[in-house]
Amino acid sequence: MKDWLHSVRTLVWKDLLQEWRSKDMLTAMFAFAILTLFIFNYAIELSPVNRAEIASGIIWVVIVFAGTLGLNRSFTAEQDQGCFDALVMAVPDVSAIYFGKMLTNWFVMLFVSVLILPIYSLLYNQSLFNAGFILVLVLGALCYSAAGTLIAGMTVQTRMRDLLLPILLFPILMPVNMAVVKAAGGILAGAPLMDVQAWLVLLAAYGIIVTTVSIMVFEYVIRE
Amino acid sequence: MTLAIRQISKSFGQHHVLNALDLELKPGELLCLLGRNGAGKTTLLRILAGLLKPETGSVWLNNQQIDYAESHARSNIGLVMHQPFLYEHLTGVENLRFYARLYQLADDETALEAALAQVGMQRFARKPVRAYSRGMKQRLTIARALLHSPRILLLDEPYTGLDLQGSQTFNQLMLEQKQQGCIILMTTHDLSHALPISSRFAFLARGRVSDELTNENLSLENLETWLAEKLAKPLSAQKRAVA
Repeated sequence: MKDWLHSVRTLVWKDLLQEWRSKDMLTAMFAFAILTLFIFNYAIELSPVNRAEIASGIIWVVIVFAGTLGLNRSFTAEQDQGCFDALVMAVPDVSAIYFGKMLTNWFVMLFVSVLILPIYSLLYNQSLFNAGFILVLVLGALCYSAAGTLIAGMTVQTRMRDLLLPILLFPILMPVNMAVVKAAGGILAGAPLMDVQAWLVLLAAYGIIVTTVSIMVFEYVIRE
Repeated sequence: MTLAIRQISKSFGQHHVLNALDLELKPGELLCLLGRNGAGKTTLLRILAGLLKPETGSVWLNNQQIDYAESHARSNIGLVMHQPFLYEHLTGVENLRFYARLYQLADDETALEAALAQVGMQRFARKPVRAYSRGMKQRLTIARALLHSPRILLLDEPYTGLDLQGSQTFNQLMLEQKQQGCIILMTTHDLSHALPISSRFAFLARGRVSDELTNENLSLENLETWLAEKLAKPLSAQKRAVA
């Protein structure tokens, strides 16, 4: 277990360092997120009545779509330079590769979220800096990264990876989308955390189940 | 410590690449695997590295079947393939540090710089790999493959991109590895460089080793003649010879 954690930490260090240097994922995700926010700003007129409900939907759609761009890029270095083979031979267990990538994707999504929340607040004149709302986003991004990393590992080996990833990923994410939008909408409307507890439990359970299953099957996904 | 490859078969669809292949390598031996393009050399190396599963057969080290699910078994192997397995946005020393950490080795600066020095790359240690030439990447790839002191080295076209000095440095490293008892299986088309370090040559045809040649004061001319004869033979004749 200690070796496994050491490998995960090493993989995350490498991925974050590489991303910091190349900014491949961050640039694409951030640019896409900003553009989408502007489009929503022109397309949807928010009233004080529907503001809370719609804000959660807009923010989550922006994060999910931007996240898909990031997921598509997350395995590119391994695929282009053949590094998958070297990683498989070096790690104590192949699941460490999945877990390291999942954590990196999660960190990158959270980083992009931190950048776009103030921009949303400026554009829509609505503060989103609410602890409960941020908790929902953190959990939602974790679930998204857990499922997305597995599917990205699968599709990166295909020629149609850009098309296949959202087609395979979005249906699996339906419970997450629903839970995030409902829980975040409730919190922004002023509901106490207890009222959205069921959605939070759903997110936590989804994250644990998908991560566990992915750790178990990842070796088969990348080898075949 | 003997590496035994027993009855390995592998097909891709209808194409039978390896057909009940048998091979044995002793410690300190470097076997140079020759054959036409598509003869199955790379496939065999990938199977030995545990990256491909054969349909039949097994690989044995010291009379024990290698279980590639064991990380210890995988970490016994050093691999150089067509692709460099390097991260372009990391520097040379960062790439080595990354692999050293994955293999749970000491990743102090001195050890990593020594690894770079043995392939003549210490001057470029802090340059990103994307700025390297093909030959420099190949040198770093060789340093990466030797980093964890593997007992088995699998080398697919290791001279690719290397200049004369690089090839000589590589040969010197391989001679040292042989002296330390490392088992080396190499594929190449560069006979002049491979001759001084190879213990044996094996010709792969129709998915099996069709012929072998021991390097006992072998001249380059004799080796080239032997290989030319093998390559000139139609595949049907080689199939009969194998049968």
